[in-house]
Amino acid sequence: MKIEIKASSLAALAATSLFSLSLVGCKSEAEKQGGSTGTTSGTASGGGSAPSGVGRPAPTGTGNVQSGDTIKLGMIASLTGDQKPWGDDSLAGAKIAVEEVNSAGGVNGKKIELKIEDSASKPESAKTAAEKLLGEGVLAIIGEVSSGNTEQIARAAFERGVPVVAVGATKTTLTDIGAHVFRVCYIDDFQGAVMARFAFEERGKKNMAIITDKKQPYSQGLSENFKSYYTKLGGQIVAEVSYQTGETQFQNLLTELKNKNPDGIFMSGYFPEVGPLAAQARAAGITAEFYGGDGWDSSQILQSGGEAIIGSFMCNHYNNKEDRPEIAAFLEKFKAQSGGREPGTTMAALGYDAAKVALEALKRTTELNSVNLMKEIENTENLSGVTGTITLKGKNGNPPKRALVVEIRPLNEGFQVFRKAYEYFESK
Amino acid sequence: MIDVTSLLVAGIEFGSLPQQLLNGILIGGVYALIALGYTMVYGVLRLINFAHGEVYMLGAYTALFVSWIIYGRAQDPVTVVWYALPLMLLSAMTVCALIGIVLERFAYRPMRNQPRIASLITAIGLSLLLQYGGQLFLPVSPAPNISGKVNPYRDNLTFYLTQPAPSLVRAADALKPEMDKAKAALDEQLKLEKDEFNLSDTGLALRKEFFERQSAYNKAQGEAQSSAISITLPKGQLIMFTVTLILMAILRHIVLFTKSGRAMRAVSHDFDSAALMGINVNKIVTLTFVLGSALAGAGAMMSATFISGVKIDTFFGLLPGVKAFVAAVLGGIGNIPGAVLGGILMGVAESLVVWAGYDQYKDAVAFLILIVVLLFKPSGLLGSNKVEKV
Amino acid sequence: MRFWGVRLASIAGGIGLAVLIHWIALSQLSAFGVRLVVLAGLYVTLAVSLNLINGITGQFSIGHAAFYQVGAYAAGLFTVKVFSSQPLTFMLWVPVAMIVGAVVASAAGLLVGLPSLRLRGDYLAIVTLGFGEIIRILSQNLKVVGAASGMAIEPKMLSQSPMVWLCWLLAIGSIALCRNLLQTAHGLSFLAVREDEIASSAMGINVTRTKVAAFVLGSALAGAAGGFYAHYEGFLIPTQFGMEVSFIILTMVVLGGSGSITGSVIAAVALSALPELLRNIKTIPLATVIGLTIGVIAAVSLGRRWSEQLHGPVRDRVLKLSGLTGLCLGGGYLLGLGLRALPALSEATTDGNRIRMVIFAGTLVLLMLVRPQGVLGHREFGLGKWLREPAR
Repeated sequence: MKIEIKASSLAALAATSLFSLSLVGCKSEAEKQGGSTGTTSGTASGGGSAPSGVGRPAPTGTGNVQSGDTIKLGMIASLTGDQKPWGDDSLAGAKIAVEEVNSAGGVNGKKIELKIEDSASKPESAKTAAEKLLGEGVLAIIGEVSSGNTEQIARAAFERGVPVVAVGATKTTLTDIGAHVFRVCYIDDFQGAVMARFAFEERGKKNMAIITDKKQPYSQGLSENFKSYYTKLGGQIVAEVSYQTGETQFQNLLTELKNKNPDGIFMSGYFPEVGPLAAQARAAGITAEFYGGDGWDSSQILQSGGEAIIGSFMCNHYNNKEDRPEIAAFLEKFKAQSGGREPGTTMAALGYDAAKVALEALKRTTELNSVNLMKEIENTENLSGVTGTITLKGKNGNPPKRALVVEIRPLNEGFQVFRKAYEYFESK
Repeated sequence: MIDVTSLLVAGIEFGSLPQQLLNGILIGGVYALIALGYTMVYGVLRLINFAHGEVYMLGAYTALFVSWIIYGRAQDPVTVVWYALPLMLLSAMTVCALIGIVLERFAYRPMRNQPRIASLITAIGLSLLLQYGGQLFLPVSPAPNISGKVNPYRDNLTFYLTQPAPSLVRAADALKPEMDKAKAALDEQLKLEKDEFNLSDTGLALRKEFFERQSAYNKAQGEAQSSAISITLPKGQLIMFTVTLILMAILRHIVLFTKSGRAMRAVSHDFDSAALMGINVNKIVTLTFVLGSALAGAGAMMSATFISGVKIDTFFGLLPGVKAFVAAVLGGIGNIPGAVLGGILMGVAESLVVWAGYDQYKDAVAFLILIVVLLFKPSGLLGSNKVEKV
Repeated sequence: MRFWGVRLASIAGGIGLAVLIHWIALSQLSAFGVRLVVLAGLYVTLAVSLNLINGITGQFSIGHAAFYQVGAYAAGLFTVKVFSSQPLTFMLWVPVAMIVGAVVASAAGLLVGLPSLRLRGDYLAIVTLGFGEIIRILSQNLKVVGAASGMAIEPKMLSQSPMVWLCWLLAIGSIALCRNLLQTAHGLSFLAVREDEIASSAMGINVTRTKVAAFVLGSALAGAAGGFYAHYEGFLIPTQFGMEVSFIILTMVVLGGSGSITGSVIAAVALSALPELLRNIKTIPLATVIGLTIGVIAAVSLGRRWSEQLHGPVRDRVLKLSGLTGLCLGGGYLLGLGLRALPALSEATTDGNRIRMVIFAGTLVLLMLVRPQGVLGHREFGLGKWLREPAR
């Protein structure tokens, strides 16, 4: 019998009407989903919540369990793209920490295997990278540097119950995603407050302008934190303008700034744009002093900023020139590994510290799985890292750390010259 | 989303309007240079050369490499040689022209008898290929820039349209001696201090005194300045605009008064008839690509050199390219004066958006203009309506 | 009677297929594999819907990701605002949110399509490109959708066990919609517009209305896919929907053959997996890349020349041409090995992630030079042929 297939293989409209039917063979996981991840909403809004004693949602998953001959840890870094200088450095730092443990015989007689994935400086690639590592059974993920990328990693890891130790992600609300997110850097609440205090108290700037990169959550958050503390101190924000990552010409918005006569300008973006921004501001006749966060941390800023960026101030995590034994030891290992080159950014030291937090916790963990490891990372107390002492216990993943203000000088004067250290203070 | 109150809060001040208009014209000049390339190619081939923005990008890289050849990669050329800038300009134009020839010969010419969509896809593919393929071979990370010192014309010219109010100037000047005195006292104390950022109590007191005086002076000075309407013009950008005008004049001469120019207009008017009249169409198409690409190269070299610190990567031409295309459509695609007009209008529109306080929507305005133009005058400001015939 | 029987059977078949994919994915594949299956389903929907605009109606949209994004944000925002105050369970809710996404995206499609589709195809290209930028800038600045920080969608699907069936039901539904549409008078008018706008308007077809209808329908399907994506990822940021995504979808349509639904489906499945496969390739010597590039260029240009002179049976010609291609590629690879001797290239490497877009772009250009109609051209592949004609 002839079967008439023409015009009838499927009727799509009818099929769409069937969407609302509940189908056989579909597990009822959807019902579970309502309550399970309920408390993470709100983290997307830019405002800051204090790293106080408010409990963070516990991750839903049961985590990965150790199997095989090696202990697998994941590392996500921007090995390509805009943030490559940070990605390369953070990876190099983490590798040194892993190498230290492995050459001392590993943990429980097992070597550490660092599984590396590239986030290509993009949040969506960071997410795929995280999914891949989680599928490969890593006990913890180390990374990333930028807050936008780390947020994606943290969200992916939440459902798996795998801890994440962020390297340089400073966005305040990041650790609210879940109890599995930790970091080894200070947070933007503090960083913004430090720069506000420095500009207001040390440099006497009473009227400032803010330039924000609208494309970067980091920049948006940092600008808000700076603004709130600066106005609390009694300073006045006379202008706020914005640009987007990738822009190259800023004359228009600089004209608007110039007209407001600020004493100082806070540029919360990343270095690829800040350099040209500073140079073009001077070319437009703006004489105000420039301030920024750790997003400036690359000597690349000297190339594009030229003379304009010299004499500006930025906030950073530590300084190579500081006289501390941890730093000397780390620098020696770094140079040995990279052919005599000093780390170009602080992300090498932070990468080392992040890996060290995970590795030290691993040593304390008796039964090797993600959940136990997470508990032990939470128990980290007074770990003496390269970038300072790290305590995570009861801190909701945000170690109270000091911040340094450094002045940008030419390369032959050392690029970042230490000016003032701020011990942790409550910035709210 | 956008309410009227925020318009008021944004604080519209007319003081910066003349400066913003000038900025707009200067930026628009570059858009116009790129738009000419789009409009000429569209004129003869009815093809949107999507890869034109990438030709522009490669022009910037050429200028960068030439500056490296002359000065070395060290970022601070000690002595500036007079031939550097002209050489960078000429080589950017030449290389771009060559790239234009290659693109036309090997990518677009084989597509000429294919449906138009096929050439469009080729153009987009080429654009992507140059953007992403370039990343494999060109320095992108960290993104390089042409050293600011290559450009010796970095100082500004300031023109006062109205003078600052004399009373305010006097008030500001009256505060200066006090500030200088406080500064001198602080400097004296600083010599005794070990660490400028960790002062003794005397030092802190002196510094507080100085900061207060300085702040008062700055404020008065600012008020005095704001009472005047002035325009600041970096010399480099003035040169840039002059060169742009010269190049446009040369183009106008070629198109209107030379034999090839006449042939080009004929091809643009009717491709097939022009061929039948004995015009070597292939030669004319190549010439069109050469002229358009060279202009883009010049624009790229100048905006990468005369605007400080501009970083160069393989997406350098993406946004300028798209905006210049919109400029070409705005002026009437295929129409050469239209492209210039469209480019300038586009630059001015962007400046005005920033001036009105909506800097975050700066890039969106180009496309809003495009949609409005397509709604009300699809042929563009200077374009003529053509009826498509079978 | 038979009409309805066949129709219901095919609906049941489609649903069955979606459920089968769901079951296989969740029971057999790793979490990473499940993700690939979901992404493949979404890309099938996106490619088929863009094919409706570009391939079937002959227009040229290069900003399809914008409608995907509009759908995702609309559905996501709808869920965030409304879900907690309504009685439906999550599983029933997602389709509702997807419909919201589709409706909003189709409204956006109407807004974009009306001014630009009155004109010729080239304008649509640039307008859709621009629309993508406008949407990106808006989503970056609007606080209600979290601006650059992004928007968390609660509740979301669990990433280990997402609703794969729903995603593939949408994909299968899109395929069926496009396929069945082409059997109707409306669908034929789409094809007529593609072939010749002037002729079809002479035949009494309202050209603009036809183009807008195709555009709106395509946008709606992309919006529905976006609605699913919002609840699958649970987190939306503007950078997820950049121009890259638009170009990937475009490559899928062009590669599969503009106008061939089957081609789009195959290309979508293949190309959505490609980036993930390339991700595993950590380093590729740059010299090899250069060598192979030269090989491909040689193969294409020689092949073009030669194929015009070749005659004889198809099999012979295919054999000869593939021999030539093999020779050129082999030569290119050897050249790459040779180039590695150069000091400048011996150490230089690249990786799969960076090459991904280069491959997509190169595919577009080479395809246009070699086979502008795409791999499948306008041809379709269906069971009908086999069922109607018994095997010889």
